[in-house]
Amino acid sequence: MKSFFKLGAVAMATFVLAGCASVNFDQTLADTSSSVGTFTGGKLELSRTKQQTQARNKLTADLLAQPLGMNEAVQLSLANSPSLQALLAQSWAEMAQAEQSGRLANPVFTFERMRFVDELEIGRLLSFGLLDLLTLPRRQAIAQGQVAQAKIQLSASVVEQVTQVRQAWVRAVATQQTLQYAQQVNAAAQAGAELARRMQQAGNFNKLQRAKEQNFYAEAAAQLAAAQHASTAAREELVRQLGLTDAQVEQLKLPERLPDLPKTPIQASVLTASAKEQRLDVQLAKHQLDVAGKSQGLNLLTSLLDVELGIRRDTVFDNGAGTSAVRKGYELDVRLPIFDWGTSQRAAMNAQSLAAANRYESTVRGASSQLRESYSAYRTAYDVARHYRDEIVPLRKTMGEETMLRYNGMLIGVFELLADTREQISSVSAAINAYQQFWLADAALAASVTGKPTSAGAMSVSSAATAGAEGGH
Amino acid sequence: MTNRRNFLTGAGAITTAVAAASVSRVAMAALPEPVLQTKPDTMDPLVPNTGRPYNPVVTLNGWTLPWRMNNGVKEFHLVAEPVVREMAPGFKAHLWGYNGQSPGPTIEVVEGDRVRIFVTNKLPEHTSVHWHGQRLPNGMDGVSGLNQPAIPSGKTFVYEFVARRPGTFMYHPHADEMTQMAMGMMGFWITHPKAKHPLIDEVNRDFVFLLNAYDIDPGAYTPKIMTMLDFNLWSWNSRVFPGIDPLVVRKNDKVRIRIGNLTMTNHPIHLHGHEFLVTGTDGGPTPKSTRWYEVTTDVAVGQMRQIEFLADEEGDWAFHCHKSHHTMNAMGHEVPTMIGVDHRKVARDITNVIPDYMVMGERGMADMAEMEMPLPDNTAPMMTGTGPFGSVEMGGMFSVVKVRKDQKAGDYKDPGWYKHRPGEVAYEWTGALPNPARFAAEGGKSMPVQNMPAKEVEVQVRKPMGNMKH
Ligand SMILES: [Cu+2]
Repeated sequence: MKSFFKLGAVAMATFVLAGCASVNFDQTLADTSSSVGTFTGGKLELSRTKQQTQARNKLTADLLAQPLGMNEAVQLSLANSPSLQALLAQSWAEMAQAEQSGRLANPVFTFERMRFVDELEIGRLLSFGLLDLLTLPRRQAIAQGQVAQAKIQLSASVVEQVTQVRQAWVRAVATQQTLQYAQQVNAAAQAGAELARRMQQAGNFNKLQRAKEQNFYAEAAAQLAAAQHASTAAREELVRQLGLTDAQVEQLKLPERLPDLPKTPIQASVLTASAKEQRLDVQLAKHQLDVAGKSQGLNLLTSLLDVELGIRRDTVFDNGAGTSAVRKGYELDVRLPIFDWGTSQRAAMNAQSLAAANRYESTVRGASSQLRESYSAYRTAYDVARHYRDEIVPLRKTMGEETMLRYNGMLIGVFELLADTREQISSVSAAINAYQQFWLADAALAASVTGKPTSAGAMSVSSAATAGAEGGH
Repeated sequence: MTNRRNFLTGAGAITTAVAAASVSRVAMAALPEPVLQTKPDTMDPLVPNTGRPYNPVVTLNGWTLPWRMNNGVKEFHLVAEPVVREMAPGFKAHLWGYNGQSPGPTIEVVEGDRVRIFVTNKLPEHTSVHWHGQRLPNGMDGVSGLNQPAIPSGKTFVYEFVARRPGTFMYHPHADEMTQMAMGMMGFWITHPKAKHPLIDEVNRDFVFLLNAYDIDPGAYTPKIMTMLDFNLWSWNSRVFPGIDPLVVRKNDKVRIRIGNLTMTNHPIHLHGHEFLVTGTDGGPTPKSTRWYEVTTDVAVGQMRQIEFLADEEGDWAFHCHKSHHTMNAMGHEVPTMIGVDHRKVARDITNVIPDYMVMGERGMADMAEMEMPLPDNTAPMMTGTGPFGSVEMGGMFSVVKVRKDQKAGDYKDPGWYKHRPGEVAYEWTGALPNPARFAAEGGKSMPVQNMPAKEVEVQVRKPMGNMKH
């Protein structure tokens, strides 16, 4: 009995040893949050208690009380989005899973009760995989690697999520802004159409002249409808990213305009210096490589050789003799590698290691390239947006002012003034588009620096709509 | 009254003259000193102190070129050069002219004078001078290529001839003529009779000016030289009203006005309050039998008209081209007519989009004169000039003949607005307004309409609104 418990104690100790590394998910979240702090502002939390839920609800309510800025949108999504919470929970599960592989399989306790005539035999067998135990340290290391991988994956998912929120916010604000201008164009065109109607009524316009003005209005109305839907769609995308309830949607207010450009763009040199090694994809590939290396041979070993060690204690009650005797001993099962000497397994292992090594190399090489591309997208978008801000919009404004002066001097008529206004507005819309491209690229670059490349929404700096509506009659 | 400047000092000030540097000092030494004019004002008549005597003319917003006598020859020096001409206060044009202004100075000589004119070309291209209407040796007629080689940039040519017949003439280039005339190259020429002439009366005041037209985009400075007919600035001596000086005379003065037309259209010039006789054309004085009184005379393209009248009615009398577009400054010819279009709600809608927008033209164009809104830089307002009773609503080819009984002989100073005697100004009727009796023949049937539209076209007559002031 004594030795049984001794053995049991060893097993338990081992078990505890293996289990003490049980995932502390809150800590993990804190780590993740700080590693991608620029994305989360350190506010990552999987809400499990009532207090946590209450706190999140309060934060959500506070954030929704005011027009929602870009960073506030991120906070809101962290606090409110069920899909983000799902992501966290899922990640927790994956880490726990990974951890599991680093533990001893539970010992098997076999209990036998056999009666033969007067003999009652009670057999107890406590058995566990010996190989499990022998390879435990190595498997633990692997498990840790896998947990670390899962953490990186979590970081990457968070970065992706946050980037999507940012970009959705940018689109929602930009389309809302564009909508305002489409409304102005529409109003100008409507006024023109109405004026043209009265001109015809008074006998000053013919049918053709009136039809032209009416046509501007008809087209403006179509554009307004499109802008309205674009705005709705972008807003709803944001709503989904934020995980808002119908009631919360009612409260959602966005700022009137996109933020101004930063005074200076991020310099390329700042990025390249540290970026490569920090990137999540590089880290992940490195971990995958490590794990592949560590597990090299181990899986092969465990699958080919399975050694089971059992501690046996049988008690035989002899009713006839009125005695009981105890049999002790151990059992050892060994699988014989007769049919499979593991060549294909070994080949697979080698191939996986090789793949991991090459994946790592490819990731490292690709990282710089991706970074350069993201930076180019960012920088181009910045320069284009600044060009709109400093050149095109002021020029348009000057043209508008001069046109107004020419109207004052009766050098042009009100319809030319309206036509110029329409063009001025479409330039402003193009400028908003350029700003939108910049902020999308900005979010994409940030994601790219952490190693979770996201498309910037493709640089489509269209010189939108400066379609030279011949302003004349 | 004129700025006599050393040629070389003057040249320094005119930086646009690319050829300036290539005119050598030595070459200039033998020439009469060119006299430059820096102001667009009407200068007093230049009373001759050398040569044969004559009664000088007054060039409206211009001046007469001084000369020197050299062995009995009258020597003038014209410098063709880029100039900045103030066409109205606050509105300047970059033109080409002579001796600092466009048009160039008036040249006054006497019948029989031998005249030598040095022409220095400080334009960026060659030029020549044609002495429009003169009898002269063919080689002096100034058509480049035909009568002479063109005067290259930086060179001085000499023209010499006898002013054979008295009359009213012009001078202008005949080399790249379209450009150079569109840029303002022109001037007046008077040949006074050397003795009493049966067809040329002595007058107390003798005014001259050229009709010219430019197309300068509002806010720009240089004329568009390709424009053929659609000019936007109709000027007298490159001035537009209210930049044109009045023609000031003393009551009962005999007044002569000589007008030359170097635009591309005719101008019916119209004087209020008096009848005049056309006493001369490009061909010289008209025979008395051909003269009849009128109040408007058409000055066709390239023509001169000399009109004379007795200024026996006191007052401020309008004097203008009767093509009403020519009494406007720059305006849009494509601007739609807005008269009678109710703007009310639409105006508010437009103002939402264009905050500075103001309704104009709904009642007519007089809004323009009343509102005084900001215009593009360097733009003369379309209808301005304020008289004693408000806006004159005129621009372009418009001036005022001011007849005063207490104006001194030879005094051209503006006497201010005419002070009307009591009861001599139109006044508001405050009595009852009976409906006019309709007469039976209204809508006569002598030529009935053949193809009546199926539906009656309703002509909407605008009723005057309360705030219509005109
Ligand atoms: Cu005219």
